[in-house]
Amino acid sequence: MESPAPDQRELVYAGTYECVARFGLAKTTVDDVARASGVSRATVYRMFPGGRDQIMRETVGWEMNRFFARLAAEVEDVPDLETRLERALSFARRSLLEHEVLQKVLATEPDALLPLMTIEQHRVLRYITGYLAPLLAAERVGGRLRDDVDVEIAADYVARMLLSLIGSPGRWDLGDPAEVRDLVGRELLGGILSSRGNE
Amino acid sequence: MTAALAVDTLHPDPVETRALDATLACIARHGLSKTTIDDIAREAGCSRATLYRYFGSRQDLVAAAVHAEALRVADLARGVAGAAATLEDAVVGVLRVVGRELGEHAALRFVADVEPEQLLPYLTFAGGDRFLQDAAEAIAPCFTRFVGDDATRAAEWIARIGLALWLSPTAPVSLADAETLRGYVHAFVLPAIEPSHVLKVSNQLSKG
Repeated sequence: MESPAPDQRELVYAGTYECVARFGLAKTTVDDVARASGVSRATVYRMFPGGRDQIMRETVGWEMNRFFARLAAEVEDVPDLETRLERALSFARRSLLEHEVLQKVLATEPDALLPLMTIEQHRVLRYITGYLAPLLAAERVGGRLRDDVDVEIAADYVARMLLSLIGSPGRWDLGDPAEVRDLVGRELLGGILSSRGNE
Repeated sequence: MTAALAVDTLHPDPVETRALDATLACIARHGLSKTTIDDIAREAGCSRATLYRYFGSRQDLVAAAVHAEALRVADLARGVAGAAATLEDAVVGVLRVVGRELGEHAALRFVADVEPEQLLPYLTFAGGDRFLQDAAEAIAPCFTRFVGDDATRAAEWIARIGLALWLSPTAPVSLADAETLRGYVHAFVLPAIEPSHVLKVSNQLSKG
């Protein structure tokens, strides 16, 4: 049996996202999705046997991943890990606040959206962890990593804390470079990067 | 918020206590959305009128029950931290006791497992900010004797970690597993909150 081309799935996600932006999460139907994505209803149901619920969940995951892919592109040209994380935090926070669809759905239908984001966050965590692990491994090669640090677990720790901070910065003003530098150097990397020759 | 929410824990009114216990029992049984003021009244052995007189509304009653539980757990945390010999013991102890209390909490478990949409607005985004602030205030006293003025900063970070681990079942450590939790705290959390580390960081920064 032929499986639908990968870009057809993308079309459905993009179409669903458009519908959610226009009609909201609860009011978007599979018909709306089919129409907006240019994919037939039959094909949509074949691709997503879990129906509307599956489509919504996966579209949330898709947009969350796109958000972080945009973030990765934004912090490409940086001299070191600390600067990368500092820039990532402040850019991500600003992007989140300026994300029209997210802010609209958070304001009008949080109970529909939040469980989906919580379920999909493990995918995003894997993405961010996968992004960070090689960066930390490079720090090890450069002799900047503490001896006993497990790169995978460290990457997971940073990824979780980044996600937490971006959504709920709490006491931190992520628009203030000095605060962000303090936060990254201490809370995020304090147990990960070594302080050479300072003992 | 009304004055009715300020449950006096030093001189607990037996009616208030019964009402709060009854609220939690009903939620544990049927969940939050299906629990009515009548259910609570029946469970507490009092009238609707009494409940409304004490609490004002179903929402206020639920909020009071949550608040009372939060105070109770914070008290346990402070007790554990007070007995800790080191900052590491205090952090691990606080995370474990809060993890245990919340993990075994029947009402919370029901809502978290069956009606997460009722809970998540209070733990994510702006709700998360408020939760972290309240939690930091509640457990900062646990760490004052170890980190002084940094206690609230440390408390918020620990609350953040606890929340992140609790919300995500795929985390590499669990609040219930003492050994891996201690290793995690030792590796990542302690260096993040120990004040002596501030010196190392400024040295690092000045190396440019």
